[in-house]
Amino acid sequence: MPEPQRVFFKTYCVSCHNADKQKGATRLDDIPFVIANVPTADRWQKVLGALNSGEMPPEDEKQPKPEEKLAFLEALSKQMVVARKALADSGGSITMRRLNRREYVNTMRELLDVEVNPFDLPSDETVGAFDTMGSSLFMSSDQLEQYLKLARTALDDAIVTGPQPERKVERIECEEAANKQVRADYERTQASLRKITEWRKSGRPAKEFGFGDDTDAQLSETVLRGNEERGLRYLRDPLTKTGVLTPHSAFPQSITIPHNLAPGRYVIRARVAFPTIQEGERRFIEFGTQGDQGYPAELNLLGCFAVNGTPERPDVVEVTVNVARTGSRLFAIRERRHNTADGADKQQFFAKLGVPMETRQRAPFTPAPRLWVDWMEWDGPFPDQWPPRSHRAVIGDIALGDKPGPVEARQLLESFAARAFRGGSVRAPFVDKLVEHFEERVQAGEPFLQAIKAPLSIILASPKFLYLLEPTTRGPGANPERSSDALVSLAEPAKPKGNQQPALNRARLPLTNAELANRLAYFLWASPPDERLMSYVEAGRLSDKGILSGGYVNEVDRMLADPRIHRFIAGFTHQWLHMTRLDFFQFNPRLYPKFDKSLRGSARREVYETIGTVLHENLPLSTLLKSDFVVVDDLLADYYGMGEMRGSSFRKVTVPAGMPRGGLLGMAAILAMGSDGERSSPIERGAWVLRKLLNDPPPPAPANVPQLSRFGSKLLSARELLTAHQEQPQCAQCHRRIDPLGHALQNFDAGGLWREVEYTEFFQNWKAIQSKQVFPIDASGQLPNGPQFTGFFGLRDAIATREQEFARGLIEHLISYALGRPCGFSDQEMVESILNKARSKGMTLRAIIHALVESPEFQSK
Amino acid sequence: MNTPLNRRHFLRSSTACIALPFLESLGFRRFASAAPLPTMPKRMIFLAMGWGVTNESWYPDPKQTGADWILPEGLKPLEKFQKDITLVQNTYHKFSTDGHSGSTFWLTGANQYGVPGRSFHNTISVDQMAAEQFGRETRFASLTFGNPGGEGGHGGALSWSRLGKPVSELSDPVAVFHKLFSDEKTPLAKRQADLKRQQSVLDTVLDEVRDTARGLNKDDTDKLNEYLESIREIETRLAKENAWLIVPKLKPAKTIAEPGKGLGGEQEVKLMYDMMVTAFQTDATRVISYRQPVNSLLRSRGVNLDGHSMSHYDMGPRRQASETRDKCQSELLAHLIARLKQTPGTDGSSMFDHVSVVLGTNIRTTHMLDNCPTLLTGGGAGIKLGQHLVMPDAKTPLCNVWLTLLNGVGVKTTSFGDSTGLIEQLRA
Repeated sequence: MPEPQRVFFKTYCVSCHNADKQKGATRLDDIPFVIANVPTADRWQKVLGALNSGEMPPEDEKQPKPEEKLAFLEALSKQMVVARKALADSGGSITMRRLNRREYVNTMRELLDVEVNPFDLPSDETVGAFDTMGSSLFMSSDQLEQYLKLARTALDDAIVTGPQPERKVERIECEEAANKQVRADYERTQASLRKITEWRKSGRPAKEFGFGDDTDAQLSETVLRGNEERGLRYLRDPLTKTGVLTPHSAFPQSITIPHNLAPGRYVIRARVAFPTIQEGERRFIEFGTQGDQGYPAELNLLGCFAVNGTPERPDVVEVTVNVARTGSRLFAIRERRHNTADGADKQQFFAKLGVPMETRQRAPFTPAPRLWVDWMEWDGPFPDQWPPRSHRAVIGDIALGDKPGPVEARQLLESFAARAFRGGSVRAPFVDKLVEHFEERVQAGEPFLQAIKAPLSIILASPKFLYLLEPTTRGPGANPERSSDALVSLAEPAKPKGNQQPALNRARLPLTNAELANRLAYFLWASPPDERLMSYVEAGRLSDKGILSGGYVNEVDRMLADPRIHRFIAGFTHQWLHMTRLDFFQFNPRLYPKFDKSLRGSARREVYETIGTVLHENLPLSTLLKSDFVVVDDLLADYYGMGEMRGSSFRKVTVPAGMPRGGLLGMAAILAMGSDGERSSPIERGAWVLRKLLNDPPPPAPANVPQLSRFGSKLLSARELLTAHQEQPQCAQCHRRIDPLGHALQNFDAGGLWREVEYTEFFQNWKAIQSKQVFPIDASGQLPNGPQFTGFFGLRDAIATREQEFARGLIEHLISYALGRPCGFSDQEMVESILNKARSKGMTLRAIIHALVESPEFQSK
Repeated sequence: MNTPLNRRHFLRSSTACIALPFLESLGFRRFASAAPLPTMPKRMIFLAMGWGVTNESWYPDPKQTGADWILPEGLKPLEKFQKDITLVQNTYHKFSTDGHSGSTFWLTGANQYGVPGRSFHNTISVDQMAAEQFGRETRFASLTFGNPGGEGGHGGALSWSRLGKPVSELSDPVAVFHKLFSDEKTPLAKRQADLKRQQSVLDTVLDEVRDTARGLNKDDTDKLNEYLESIREIETRLAKENAWLIVPKLKPAKTIAEPGKGLGGEQEVKLMYDMMVTAFQTDATRVISYRQPVNSLLRSRGVNLDGHSMSHYDMGPRRQASETRDKCQSELLAHLIARLKQTPGTDGSSMFDHVSVVLGTNIRTTHMLDNCPTLLTGGGAGIKLGQHLVMPDAKTPLCNVWLTLLNGVGVKTTSFGDSTGLIEQLRA
């Protein structure tokens, strides 16, 4: 710590917290200035917290000057960031890890050709780290049982016994049920209206007629009259004779694939039209599943399609779905919309009338219809072959004959375990035990294909399947008995590592061929090595030096070109760019009607597809900072106002001149992440730019600092709110770097659309909007220790000059993701070496990945 | 212990903590005939709200302390029971710095970064501490209820085992019902055979672990130990299940109907509360934790916001949602208190007098992790009820509350989490 800061600390802190005087039972004179371990870091963190919150120095003590405090806080926060990184340094040591949830699902798919539903497993995403970090991937008894259960279900899906299930088609004429429902509603309305009439005639209290009170009856009448009118209008509409007119915001149309039908691939079709569609108007429908639980209006989306059909010439839209044994089989369509807007129209409509909540919930409500659905149907299953691939995946090449027994079982279990263990050894005693399980089942009367499932599921819950093993002491001379003693006694819980410094520069062993194949495959595909990789392993050629510059490099190129690379792109990018934030908030449907779930999904994919394009076309990394193209689908093209685009596939489109898109900063997903669904947040956006683009992360936000949005009752612009940050030294130390970057993006609203002015609303209480105000946007800013600029284009140009920093940040994250450990100080050499190699090859993502997988660190353990 | 994988050692240690059901002493038959127990056992309920409360309308005025305090808007539905609830202000978890971990550390107080090199670490939760002692005498050591959405704002889990691993939750009311009250249709012999099979699966895997452990370094071995510990936990549970196989499930005095599917929201929470009371009546367990739904609760009140958006309220609909949720929670708690009071205990006392209930969350509001909302009720832990207690030190560990409750119900421990001592002001 620099001298002036030591003096500050002595003057304002140690004077009351020392060997003689320990106010608040806190002693600070003995804190080491070098943060070498966690307890020291904890103590400094407390000092930082006390200063940040303004708690210390106490009011009646001598106060530091704001600039002194600012300098001290800045120095200490920076030191804490460095210390945190240093303390997390594993010294290159990688902790064995189990498959994370994504990898588990992919591995089961590759092995069995079956989709598993993993939602009972932990998601493994932790804040600030990757889901590949072995040290943080834990195992619990519940989880172990889940693995057994999931394996069992997957095997039930994979193995077939009967004949090929017959393909069937079932179509429902949607109007049949709908008209019945509307008519019933209409008749109920009539009945209630008759009661109203009776009540009015009688002069008695409305309570006797089943209403809450007289006011309730009066309000109900208004509602009922409206329903009567809408009901009649609906039933008289000729389109309801042949189809259903679905209201914009009522429940979707749906069809169920019966649960007794075989799982597999099915097609869902619907014949649809928009009766009121205007020339040139873009309208979309959504396909999704409805859960058995919860609220029927909330769809899990499967797809979103533009529909141009009219009742004269309807469109038939279809979506192919993989139906699992468990999970929802209820498929629905609706016009594209906010999930959460459901009922909102109804609520608003009744709220305006002052109808109490209880009455509202009783009242049927049918807003103006938009989408017309003639029919819906399901068609399937469509097995690719019979027995399906999944069945052959389990049985393999084993000839089962007429009466398979223990011999075939042994053969099958051995070969399956070999594939499941990805190069790990399959011991004879283990197989013996598996066969015993099989035989026990056979004795209990189970047929071969049933009895085999029990031992197979044991394989899929075994450590050699669930963990990526890279043993370091096995080999000639290692004593297996002795090394198994390494398992510490369970009676004594494992002690935390404490402050042990990891052994640095330990001589590293090269990975075996099989280990290298696994590391490579889980890095680039989040999946097990495929047959071709394993054939290299068997031939012992993967880590062979001669192959390294040829075969290995070619293999990496092959893997980069394989569709499975998408699992890396999505899995890595999601965590690297902290895209969980995209799902943190609901967007206010009133303010951002177009930012619904479908748009959110497309916006997310835009990020992945753009990175995919940069990878596949071998473009420089700086393309992500600034480019003259975007990679979008029809939904996003419509959202960005790029004119009409047909078809829902993502493609590269040149950005029209002057349009603020091209590069991560112009993407709806990135901008929306910097908002709370109501207002844009310059702080979130600015901090994101520092963290992800400039590789200059600010310290984490201190806890328990009040939100600025709570600033009294004045209506303020975002910039006015944030000037408050510059006033307090404890805020200013970080926010003078963060905020200017965020302000430059203020021309984008919370949903990432361009605006010229900022619009804010103020609610007196929750009932009503008290006032609205429009503020001009001041998008001028400055890079930390860098040039000044204005607005999106200025910021983007300034950032595009910082490609090195961006690349360095990316490389550090990639190392961490690929090796499953933190990228620490001891990795700086590796980072530099990758950076240099990539620079000589045009600084492309491809060159970076190549340099990483060819590095000695990647190939050793 | 050089051969930790010795099979016998394994089983011996796993059965050590299993006691056979105390049939007579439990008043097994008495219960069936609805006669009161000689002494009522202590029981605990932990209700996690998830997210924070509405700061402005949930907390009582800090100046009105003691027995004389006015219920704020958010607690109004509890008016009838003001003398039965105690509200504690100014407690927090000093290690909690992340507002996004939900209820993960609410019952543990652990330091997420407590182990260097790991981005996650947790320790045993207060309910599981109680379950270790109380659970020996009941069919289920504890019951952990969740919600069908597994809502994110609550973090990974609410209850954590002694090893700091999440305890699995029952999130479907139908499943809870069957677990508690349904008769097994499978014959006893078959169920015993099933358990034996499961045991045998573990044996096979155990043998594999041993082979896998070869050549692993210390860190990797620690990891593999987690797997081994998991096997052991399952074994312990299987052994307990086996011991209870011969004991039929007790029937509640008043029959409770099987819940319908997909209830959601307020109805679901109410039903879970009802089942808690019945689970205590039949002594199926003595410790229950419940990670309550927020989204579906809001839906059932006609609010289309989810928990996270609600928690970031400013003014407007989000604030309305937050207030609606607070009130709904208070109404539901009033229902639970009423049910507990209606349920007779020994000699004129009621179930309420022997249960300790906590309703709370570790977030005050939005990202604020100080002054955790903490509402205590029930006579089980010997807490002075009807109080509004504002701790003089704004940094009083919430674990001091947990420690006080544990000692109050008879779990003798001198510390819990980062506790610094008992809260004397709470003790009656």
